[in-house]
Amino acid sequence: MRTMGIRNRPRSERRRQSTVCQPLLTLVGGTLAVMAVMAAMATPAFAQAGVDPADVPDLTGVWDGGFRARPVNGPNMPWVPGENFPVLNERGLAHQAVFDEAIAPKYDCVPSASPALQYDPYMMEVTQWPDRVLVRYEKDDQIRTFWLDGRETPSNDFTVQGFSSGRYEDGALLVETTKFTFDVAGFDDYNGIPSSQQKKVTERYWREGEELRMTLTVEDPMFLREPVSYTTRWLPGPEGYKLQAYDCDPFEAGHPRKFLVPTYR
Amino acid sequence: MDRGLGMGEVKEDVVKTLLWISGMVLVGAVLVTSVGAHHASGPFYDPEKSVEAVGTVTKFVFRNPHSFVYVDAVNADGSTTAWEIEMGASVSMSRRGWTPDTIKAGDQIKVVGQPSRAPGTFGMCCAELTRPDGSPLRP
Repeated sequence: MRTMGIRNRPRSERRRQSTVCQPLLTLVGGTLAVMAVMAAMATPAFAQAGVDPADVPDLTGVWDGGFRARPVNGPNMPWVPGENFPVLNERGLAHQAVFDEAIAPKYDCVPSASPALQYDPYMMEVTQWPDRVLVRYEKDDQIRTFWLDGRETPSNDFTVQGFSSGRYEDGALLVETTKFTFDVAGFDDYNGIPSSQQKKVTERYWREGEELRMTLTVEDPMFLREPVSYTTRWLPGPEGYKLQAYDCDPFEAGHPRKFLVPTYR
Repeated sequence: MDRGLGMGEVKEDVVKTLLWISGMVLVGAVLVTSVGAHHASGPFYDPEKSVEAVGTVTKFVFRNPHSFVYVDAVNADGSTTAWEIEMGASVSMSRRGWTPDTIKAGDQIKVVGQPSRAPGTFGMCCAELTRPDGSPLRP
């Protein structure tokens, strides 16, 4: 017996079935949509498994790392001779001896990176998402992503800011960054100390009252004999402050070089 | 070896901040530094020397990472020297009230600072900027 498909049925019957089917389809579709939303809402708030929300510090906001928070900034801060100034191995000393300020990449608008970027006297904005923390720096318009979901970067993916993995622990955010590109002046702005692809930067962020505090440790066995650390702070930024665009000007970045007596000709 | 930030150091920093602010108010002139954690000034400018220039602003470049003000100063022998005075990043300066129009071409200005090292150049850093009569030049 040949079954009649809906198109072969009388129009009155097709109309009756359409009147029944469409609302039914709408009800089913709506129910599925509601179930999907409820499922999404029921997923863990953080990508990091097992994290207790009480252990997550509130780091979100605009933070002032300028002279209000750190009155002293210069060649001896945050790396203080006799206190935490890095001890260079022979390779590091040799590089430092032949370093010429004019070749520092910043004079060509290459962005600042860890561990110098965090101590630059500018504003910083932190946004905490479930699977990542985004940190935007006013200096050089840089953005760093601290991945909280355990992902890994390809073995050959080296960048200026490196690759950062983070986790919450005991009321603090711990971040480990590797995969930095080589930088002839990658340690700080003043001392002509290079940093290599072996550089590893570990940061711990936490709140102390209204302050955001951080301890940073740098390891670079290519140039440093041992890890070195500094601790610093940020204060809350002005109410309603929006980070300004830095827009490094290539001409003005290199402008001071004409006033330098070059080491090499 | 970690240089921690203990409570004693926090109190010391508060005092330092207050002294810094007070110092800026008392001086009354605009003292801008080109250092600002971007680069050391020593390789470019001689901190052991001081130079002074009084003249006319020809250009004010308000940029990152360095702003520059250009001043034509007439020397005692009647010749003119075109000075280039390095200032801070515009992002930092704007927080102290500076804008691209704070100094304009044609303004009369006096600058005292460290001279550049390279022979034949007339750069200056770490300068104090005032009006020719010494009155403050404010944003």
